[in-house]
Amino acid sequence: MNKMISDLAEAEEFKIGYPSVERARAINEVGAAIAHALNGPLTALLFYVGDLAQNGDQLPAGSGNGPSLKQVAANALQEAERVCFLMQRITDAFEAPLKKETAVAHGREVIRWLSRVSEEGERGFEASPVVQERLTPREREVLRLVIEGCSNKEGAMRLQISYRTFESHRAHLMRKIGAKNAVELMRLALLAPEGSLHEVPPVNDETASAIRA
Amino acid sequence: MHVLEEVAKGEAFSPAKQAYRILVIDDDNCVGAAIKATLMRHGGEIEIAPRACVGIEALGSASFDVVLVDLFMPGMSGLDAISHIRRQSGVPIIAMSGFRLRDSANSIDYLGMAMQRGASTCIRKPFAPKQLIEAIDRTLLQGREQQEYCGE
Repeated sequence: MNKMISDLAEAEEFKIGYPSVERARAINEVGAAIAHALNGPLTALLFYVGDLAQNGDQLPAGSGNGPSLKQVAANALQEAERVCFLMQRITDAFEAPLKKETAVAHGREVIRWLSRVSEEGERGFEASPVVQERLTPREREVLRLVIEGCSNKEGAMRLQISYRTFESHRAHLMRKIGAKNAVELMRLALLAPEGSLHEVPPVNDETASAIRA
Repeated sequence: MHVLEEVAKGEAFSPAKQAYRILVIDDDNCVGAAIKATLMRHGGEIEIAPRACVGIEALGSASFDVVLVDLFMPGMSGLDAISHIRRQSGVPIIAMSGFRLRDSANSIDYLGMAMQRGASTCIRKPFAPKQLIEAIDRTLLQGREQQEYCGE
């Protein structure tokens, strides 16, 4: 969640002045990521508040003239449900229709390329046309980091560039591929036919060591 | 929303039904933690795995009534995790996703993809306890019917 908050803080800075196309895209990407990340905590909230409401009889009556704590728990659940309902609508709104078939095709190609790169390294073979012709070497590096789940700050640190530069690379390459953001790219990847994805190796050391163990 | 209203009225779940052994595979720890906190009170046992490979390992060393898998995780994706689990065991699998499960306009069908790989059903986040319990009950019932059918 801390990563999300720092991303949000970065996005807040953009409110000053008119955002460029790249910035607007970056904000959209952050928005979609936050919307998606909220689903977990909201599920947890439904469970906790539901549990409270369910066991409302055990709550003390509370002092003063206000409503009983049981009633408060029931109210909290009702509001949590409303938030969840709104959240689903926000997530739906971020999942705007794909523009073209080409976006899907590009997504598949890019993901296949990513899986081969992580297996064999970038020099072992020729990149797919989309990656080869459309993305600069720097953008390919950025793409790999984005798919590994790096925030703009982490990615920038690993490439030793400013996070604004990283973010600009990120927005550029997403536009070239035809995906709105990393989340959409992953969705495109999931649409890829079976067999092309299951060989994608783990993307971080923790996973890698867990598999080796 | 009516499902959630029933939770508020206290008709959410009957304690006897919740003594499940559940494995929750989700990179977002809070979901598993909440399920654990809520169902443990009623005798359920919940194990949490933050990565698909950790969950698959856990399945090798213990038995579960049902496995919950998030479809979008860093590292091995939920869909691949489902294929993986299916190869080594017949444990019922419920997929979870924060995205719309079906979207005919964009020909997206996570539900279909998850079920094709061996999941019993899919639930969309955020979900309420009652929805989870219903999904589990439905899944376990399916499993039993299948077993009876195969037994004949």
